[in-house]
Amino acid sequence: MNLEELEKQVTLMEDIQEIENLQRIYAYYFDLQRWQDILDLFSDNAESVEIVDHGLFKGKEGAKKMYWDWIGQGGQPFRAPWVQFIITQIGGVVNMSPDGKTAWGRWQTWLCEAKPFGAYPRQEWLHGYYENKYVKKNGKWLFSKLHWNNTFCSPFEDGWMKTPLMGLMNYHPTIKPDAPPTAFRPYPSGYHIPYHYKHPITSR
Amino acid sequence: MATLEELQGRITRLEDIKQIEKLQRIYGYYLDYNEYQKVVDLFSENAESVEIADYGVYKGKKGAKRFYLELLGGKPPRVGELSIGMIMQGVVDIDPNGKTAKGRWYCMMIEAKPTLSLHEGELRQLWGNGIYENKYIKENGKWMFQKVFFFLNFRTPYEDGWLKVPVVGQNGPSTEVPPDAPSTFYYPYPAGVHLQPHYKHPITGK
Repeated sequence: MNLEELEKQVTLMEDIQEIENLQRIYAYYFDLQRWQDILDLFSDNAESVEIVDHGLFKGKEGAKKMYWDWIGQGGQPFRAPWVQFIITQIGGVVNMSPDGKTAWGRWQTWLCEAKPFGAYPRQEWLHGYYENKYVKKNGKWLFSKLHWNNTFCSPFEDGWMKTPLMGLMNYHPTIKPDAPPTAFRPYPSGYHIPYHYKHPITSR
Repeated sequence: MATLEELQGRITRLEDIKQIEKLQRIYGYYLDYNEYQKVVDLFSENAESVEIADYGVYKGKKGAKRFYLELLGGKPPRVGELSIGMIMQGVVDIDPNGKTAKGRWYCMMIEAKPTLSLHEGELRQLWGNGIYENKYIKENGKWMFQKVFFFLNFRTPYEDGWLKVPVVGQNGPSTEVPPDAPSTFYYPYPAGVHLQPHYKHPITGK
């Protein structure tokens, strides 16, 4: 082993730590409803953003439509005070490409939310999995693709078995996605979101 | 200033911890999807045992296969069955030999499962919680499971909660795929019996 090899190993560990922080910081910004700060976590050459059934939004322009225009309601920094997004980021499995410039991450999420459904404020539990892509630009890690697939979105009063899905979120009067959702099959469909990684022992 | 060899040792330790964290989380994702063969392939050929809640002890890699493939995977999951295990808050310690390690983790479960027995009875939506104290072993440069031990705190119907119904149903010991030995430490809430951690106090060393 020489100094050059050691530096590669240290860089790899630092990169994984940076990406784990990026993913967690994203969720804290979501909780804080800081939509511009979320957009600034995306690469200018971002591939796409897809959340639940909103549809596929392409490029950084698409990310702006998703976070700022749609979820952020046209650039309002904050929604009503009772609207709550608690988004836990659990179980990160981050893998680096051989050249060290791109990476993939799988995570799962347990959410505790309050938001309007139709005219009514509702409290809900959600669960889902991320399969995301990251890119290193000028020494910093950014999102190049974000996909959050929803397992359930259930009223606190009912639970996932009684009401797996409280309603669709795929309609907006003026904002349209670039493509329909690619993998929106909530519980109890039994749908499996493919892993970006191979089996760590058998490599299959 | 440390030597190159000392630095190599330190970075290897950090890499080992990261590999074990990934192993543990990948195990969780396979379980979520009932991919039991993939789970078994994460175990060393010299695995010690698998013990989950009240199922009892399944010894060796042979026992791991019997437990995951024959018992859990013996029947296909029913429509609407849901098995989410959120494995959190790992404390991973590599032994001084660099070849074995131990890890403690919380697991929070979101489930829809039969409650009469493992494969029978009405499906109910459940909250579950427990603690892993696992052992890992490095073979051919890869970390694998040497021992999986899961302590169940509660498994309760969504509508009731842990205070009203700490554990719904009974899963083990199975009569069809019996364990090699009875459970060694099954004390769900409200027993007040705690699963002690593998590690010593980081400051006092006690």
